[in-house]
Amino acid sequence: MPSTSAAALEILNLHKRFNEPAVDDLSLTVRSGEFYALLGPNGAGKTTTLRMVAGLLQADAGTVKICGIDAFADPIAAKRVLAWGPDDPMVYDKLTPLEYLEFVAGLWNMPPDFARFKADSLLDSLGLGSHANERCGGFSKGMRQKVALAGALIHEPRLIILDEPLTGLDAGSARQVKRVLSGLVAQGVSIVMTTHILEVAERMADRIGIIARGRLVAEGTLEELRERASANGNTLEDIFLEIVGSEAGSEPPAQEATGFHEKVA
Amino acid sequence: MRQFMANSALMRFSHHELRLSWREWSWMFSGRRSKSLWRALIGISIFYAVMHLIAYAVLGSHLTAAFELDQTTLAVLSVTVLLSLTMMLSQAMESVTRAFYARDDLDLILSSPAPSHDLFLVRISIVALTSWAMSALVVSPFINVAMALDGGRWLSGYVVLLAVSLTATGGGVLITLALFRTIGPQRTRLYAQILAAVVGAAFLIGMQVVAILYFGSMSRFALFDPAFLAHYAPAAGSLLWFPGHAVAGQTKAVVFFLVSSVVFFSAAALLGSRRFGRIVVLALGVTEKTARGGTTNRAFRGHSPLGALIQKELKLIVRDPWLVSQTLMQVLYLIPPAVMLWVSFGKAAEASVIIAPVVVMAVGQLAGGMAWLTISGEDAPDLIATAPISAFTRLWAKVASVLILVTAIILPVSLAVAFMSLWGAAVTASGALIAAASAILVQLWFRAQAKRTTFRRRQVASKASTFAEAAASISCAAGTALIAAGSPLALLPVILLASVLGISWSIRPKQIAEVQCP
Repeated sequence: MPSTSAAALEILNLHKRFNEPAVDDLSLTVRSGEFYALLGPNGAGKTTTLRMVAGLLQADAGTVKICGIDAFADPIAAKRVLAWGPDDPMVYDKLTPLEYLEFVAGLWNMPPDFARFKADSLLDSLGLGSHANERCGGFSKGMRQKVALAGALIHEPRLIILDEPLTGLDAGSARQVKRVLSGLVAQGVSIVMTTHILEVAERMADRIGIIARGRLVAEGTLEELRERASANGNTLEDIFLEIVGSEAGSEPPAQEATGFHEKVA
Repeated sequence: MRQFMANSALMRFSHHELRLSWREWSWMFSGRRSKSLWRALIGISIFYAVMHLIAYAVLGSHLTAAFELDQTTLAVLSVTVLLSLTMMLSQAMESVTRAFYARDDLDLILSSPAPSHDLFLVRISIVALTSWAMSALVVSPFINVAMALDGGRWLSGYVVLLAVSLTATGGGVLITLALFRTIGPQRTRLYAQILAAVVGAAFLIGMQVVAILYFGSMSRFALFDPAFLAHYAPAAGSLLWFPGHAVAGQTKAVVFFLVSSVVFFSAAALLGSRRFGRIVVLALGVTEKTARGGTTNRAFRGHSPLGALIQKELKLIVRDPWLVSQTLMQVLYLIPPAVMLWVSFGKAAEASVIIAPVVVMAVGQLAGGMAWLTISGEDAPDLIATAPISAFTRLWAKVASVLILVTAIILPVSLAVAFMSLWGAAVTASGALIAAASAILVQLWFRAQAKRTTFRRRQVASKASTFAEAAASISCAAGTALIAAGSPLALLPVILLASVLGISWSIRPKQIAEVQCP
């Protein structure tokens, strides 16, 4: 049974190595009801970390606890309270959004009446109500993204992990998604989200983690990061660029980064 | 000249397409390892040498000093040419349809100032040349041996083969254009696919059906019986045997074949190239039919996770006519045994010995395709992998889906056989189920996550699984026939099947990527 008082996500000393370390002794905690944004340059290890949390990739070492459940020891129990939204929306072209949600509800063994109610409500709130009976094959990327998001939310997860959920969405759709996510956080659901749209992290996240070369190099609220990074500007972009370097993928040396992390955390 | 080559879009496209074709071919055989490519080339060379020995064994006794082009020889040669034409036409229709619908690089090319009709001309020429080269690889040992035994006149076999491939490719272009014109881009892809399958199998199956109806035999060679030909077929000088004369080197026939095929291909290619840009734009604009309606107020069904997965698999297969047509091609080959059943219904229990292996073979191949679709072809692997269900449930749902589909196909055939022989029906059903189970096991051991739309390329992904699947089906078919006949030799295919499965298990990829790595 998931613990109600435990942190939504606890990652401890997580390691994953492909040809070189992708995630290197990473530890972080996400509290219940917290919106946590995980930022980092391309190839920093964000997606690898989240895929290990979701059980899509085997970790070399470390532990992951989801709502107090050891995700590596009891993955099925952990998956019951978890939702994963990949950056590439994976939906079935030959199913309609309603059929897709019916399928997802079946996977999570939800009572059918409640699932139908949730499906209608999610599709409406994401602006897909009028497309509920059209096959996804003809949908735009943004619409598919929203169908996939509805699938992630239908079983009422307590921890939602989203990898770039706003990519490909128009301004209106992005606002719909942000509104739905904010509503969930207000209800006590925890969200961990990666994004390259720093403005979204700046506006929505309770806390922000910055990852580089597989390590958490900075963590805190926007104010904490602003105060402690002594950035020249005061936007998250300034802070982010100072920490990870102004060019994509050119992170500062790990030693410096660790020092900064210790300072902030 | 250099300037011309640098500037000509035709040359640039030719270079680009040939490079891509070569890389795809070498990747298919080598998996991007140069050592494997050398091994593949050595393997092909050995195969080619063995084919020459087989050709010698077949032709050695016929092409003696007393050889003459009689009615039977002309019939064999002409039928072979017609058979090649239907096979190549089927292949060409698939390739031409792909040229119109494959999105790969068309966005880039169509948005560039390069003339798109040049691309079509290049692609269609490569289709014709590839088709010629692949057929030549199989047929050339026979032509070479014939040349060695009976003289250079048989060299014309290569020319006829080229003429056939040009005619088939031109025909493929014209049929596809006609389909676009008559039924529109939304349906052409599917109908061309089905038509290609029917064209490819029709001649072969037609011959078999005629053999069953006239001789009560499933062997197509029964039709080449001299007495049958003398009674039903025209004399050796007839125009019907023109293809046979061309293969045997009659100059007039060869020139006629070559010239008419070049003219036909050129006309079709030019016509196709003129319409290529417009058709591709229409084809790229084809999207999934969206309107369905009628289910808005339907309550959700309360499925268990296993039920939800099976329901999803069946729904996806049934709703994809293109995939259904791809996988159900094997069912076409069940027509001859069905005719055999009909002809010998209630008369000959021995007929089940002939029918059983065909059914088993078809079911094995069908199960292989279906198993790939359900086991490897998953469009939302992350969703399935993050659902709170065990790996066993996940796999069992996929296996059960294949078994449900295969059973639906086996059951009517087995019931029909049961009216002739209960033993035959039991053996057929058991053999088919073992063939299906073997195909499923091979797919499980070699599973690699892929999009369902890559179904056609599944054999490229793993040669080992393709070979294992085919070898298992053949073993099952042979074993079933021998068991149905009550032969103790049935033990041999059983041992072969066990060996194939054992070797497959031992060489299976150790870490199966059930979900894609980042």
